[in-house]
Amino acid sequence: MAEFKSSAIDSGIIEGVATQAFDVVVIGGGPAGMAAALAAHKAGAHVAIVEREQHLGGILRQCIHPGFGLSHFKQELTGPEYAQRFIDQVRATDIALFLNSMVIGIDSGEPTEDTAVHTVTLMSPAGMLQLTGRAVVLAMGCRERTRSEIKIPGSRPAGVFTAGLAQRYINIENLKPGSRAVILGSGDIGLIMARRCTLEGISVEGVYELMPYANGLRRNVKNCLDDFGIPLHLSTTVTRVIGHDRVEAVEVSQVDERLAPIPGTERIVPCDTLLLSVGLIPENELSVAAGVELDPRTRGAVVDQSLQTGVPGIFACGNVLHVHDLADNVTCESERAGAAAAAYALGGGADAEAGAPGAGCQLTVSPAGIAGYALPGRITAVALTKLNFRVRRPVDAARVRILADGEELFTGKVRAFKPSVMESFPLPAKVIQRILDLGVSEIVLSVDPAEEA
Amino acid sequence: MTETFDIAIVGAGITGCAIARQLARYDLSICVVEAANDIALGASKANGGLVHAGYDPAPGTVKAQVNARGCELYGTWAQELGFLFCRTGSMVLGFNDEDRAHLEKLRCNGLANGVPELSIVGPDRIHELEPRASADATCALWCPSTGFVDPFEVAIAALENAVANGVTFMRSAPVEVIEVAGSGDDARFTLATPAGNVRCHYLINAAGNGAADISHMAGAEEFQMVWRQGNIVVLDKEPRTLMPLYPVPTPVSKGVIVTGTVHGNTVITATAAVREPGDTQTYASDVNALLTDARKLVPDLDTRRVVRAFAGGRPVIQETNDFFIGQSAVVPGLFQAAGIQSPGVASAPAIAERMELVMREAGVELHERTDWNPIRRAPDDFDRASLARKEELIESDPAWGQIVCRCETVPEAEIVAAIRRRPGAVSVEGVKRRCRAGMGRCQSGFCQSRVVAILARELGCDPSEVLLEDAGSWLVEGPLKGVR
Repeated sequence: MAEFKSSAIDSGIIEGVATQAFDVVVIGGGPAGMAAALAAHKAGAHVAIVEREQHLGGILRQCIHPGFGLSHFKQELTGPEYAQRFIDQVRATDIALFLNSMVIGIDSGEPTEDTAVHTVTLMSPAGMLQLTGRAVVLAMGCRERTRSEIKIPGSRPAGVFTAGLAQRYINIENLKPGSRAVILGSGDIGLIMARRCTLEGISVEGVYELMPYANGLRRNVKNCLDDFGIPLHLSTTVTRVIGHDRVEAVEVSQVDERLAPIPGTERIVPCDTLLLSVGLIPENELSVAAGVELDPRTRGAVVDQSLQTGVPGIFACGNVLHVHDLADNVTCESERAGAAAAAYALGGGADAEAGAPGAGCQLTVSPAGIAGYALPGRITAVALTKLNFRVRRPVDAARVRILADGEELFTGKVRAFKPSVMESFPLPAKVIQRILDLGVSEIVLSVDPAEEA
Repeated sequence: MTETFDIAIVGAGITGCAIARQLARYDLSICVVEAANDIALGASKANGGLVHAGYDPAPGTVKAQVNARGCELYGTWAQELGFLFCRTGSMVLGFNDEDRAHLEKLRCNGLANGVPELSIVGPDRIHELEPRASADATCALWCPSTGFVDPFEVAIAALENAVANGVTFMRSAPVEVIEVAGSGDDARFTLATPAGNVRCHYLINAAGNGAADISHMAGAEEFQMVWRQGNIVVLDKEPRTLMPLYPVPTPVSKGVIVTGTVHGNTVITATAAVREPGDTQTYASDVNALLTDARKLVPDLDTRRVVRAFAGGRPVIQETNDFFIGQSAVVPGLFQAAGIQSPGVASAPAIAERMELVMREAGVELHERTDWNPIRRAPDDFDRASLARKEELIESDPAWGQIVCRCETVPEAEIVAAIRRRPGAVSVEGVKRRCRAGMGRCQSGFCQSRVVAILARELGCDPSEVLLEDAGSWLVEGPLKGVR
């Protein structure tokens, strides 16, 4: 059988290719990569950022709307303004920048105790280059779910765009993708684009959402739809794309509780553009090729409390790890990953900052109830640990319960939860110690609606 | 404006392109007239890319005569034309005694059709040949000669080679009227198209789903065609490419087949339903049926990783359900390749060979040219190139290091080359079919605007004039208000 794999997979040190050595190599120059690089640099590491675009900033460059920085800078900024603050900081350091450079492979060699060095092979118009790093931070971000992944039937004309692509056409290329748009999905990008299209003279016929609730942040529903009189149709989805060359209309249908279209509810909505905001998927092809294990729930790496993946010395943060709600939270998480990577690279061990490694602490964390995932999936240190999760459906009253061996060890307050919010739940060190004392190796983060708890 | 040729071939699908390539070795002036703006935009782009071995067609049919021969010729064609072809072999999986009897019948068909090395194997051998095949399969027809290609690449490569040997390609030239003057050896055909008129001595109808219309316009056979529509799903790349796995065929089709592709994806192909002519929509019921049926053959298939779902029509002659390859019995000088449904891809090189024979027997004078070059050098494929070659390419032009499509690792220089080839890409989809930019899991979400910019620059047009596919498929309306 022929070998179909791209030769790009061959990595390892290649003779004749220039090599530069670093303590920490960060892959991705968006908000996650920049925050990780700055934190690693602050901890004394010699750091490189590899970015495939010509500019730092990642997707923030096209997010020209405000709403960034409220928690990190206590000030409302646009995406480019928020990015610029980090770009300025990066530029003021000796962090090495490899722009316009695409990583084609990460080779971790044989895991030997002291000398594990990762080799990152990259390609740019200047040629091929290899960077070695004692630690690598994965910060490649995510991509948008496509029409094919959600299997919208019908024809395949021009005019079906992911919301992010339409955002790029409008905000970066100054091009108008159409005149009459339907938006499927009430995720934040869909909501932001409903407003953006309206401001640019593109009539938005409506936002359609499969679920019985809006998927984006409440502030975006208000600021982007309500304020502009754009209707939001819940429990409704696009069931057919119509038009041979360019979109001429879409057929929308209501869905039942099992999210299946209800026959007889079809309605034709004339439009020339269909924007899709139907979910984001962490871009982990490179991680998988490097041997990193993924969590099927997040489609990001399985990490421990220091955000280290299953491959020693490879860390992950930002949307490549799990899809965040706010860039500010990406920054915060990535600073932790950068600091931990630096600590690892400089020999202090990944947990130097997070606390002393607990002898034999090897806990796995899994979600239950309406929690869609729990991150980190592994805890290897007895220290205050921030558990992240999202709920799968909105509830007015529920609480977080930490269970081990069926026993409830710790609970949170009863409150409302929404799927649009990435939750953070602090797990105190003493609870982790108690779990260890029980001799249990698996803990469960369960979110249970109050009446069922 | 009227141009005159010895031969006009209507249709730049895989059949027309293969015939053009076959006849280009002779001292003839040839024009390929295509209704669409690019190669392989009909049935040739909407199939699973399988090079079926030929045990399926009933012995004695035209299909049976050209399928096994076409499959055999693919090795040479791939080498000469520089396209990817994987001869992996295939299995038809059987799950019970009834299936086993059917496999035996297929094996006999295959023997009669000249398919080499067929055998019926048991569960151990099945597992050895394809570890992911269903463990419930009790028997299989093992057929080592089956393979797969990228069907657009085959058509494009064949026509590029034909054009390099002097064949003319006319795109966006739907034939509206055919005038036939004279008769017998003096017959002259005039094809009226919006792109200009073409006059020819011999006319070859390879118009795929339009073949019945062309035959009708020329006053020849009235083919009654049905549009047998198929939905097809492409899944993301996997570390190991799957061998084609077939179910026991149904009376109308080969059933839902799971196969690897030359680029390492997995394809599930195809449903078969008679629908309105021209219907290329996908249907939820079809796509769900594909995914369900595929898991019967490959239970561990991750059917969430759908990269693309598409559909196309196969031109089926209702009365015979067979290919028609020959000179028209009504209009001499008109040669027809009609009803080229499945296994059209597998048969294409043999259809071309048979067409040449038919024409020779009809008295068409075929004198070999001394300067015919059978070789088409494959364009550089950056993703598949060795690291040393990658370095070399980037050194020759930094645009080889400027990756535009991240999913398929396609640099700007490769996209430019796809546009500058002859015949080159004139649309975003044309670029995709030639170098895979936009073919990957993000489906051009990251690279489409960049490809549009490159096309606009190379074609010397405004981004609003760049098309996704054919006329009318504009991608952007124009600049935002207030932007100059």
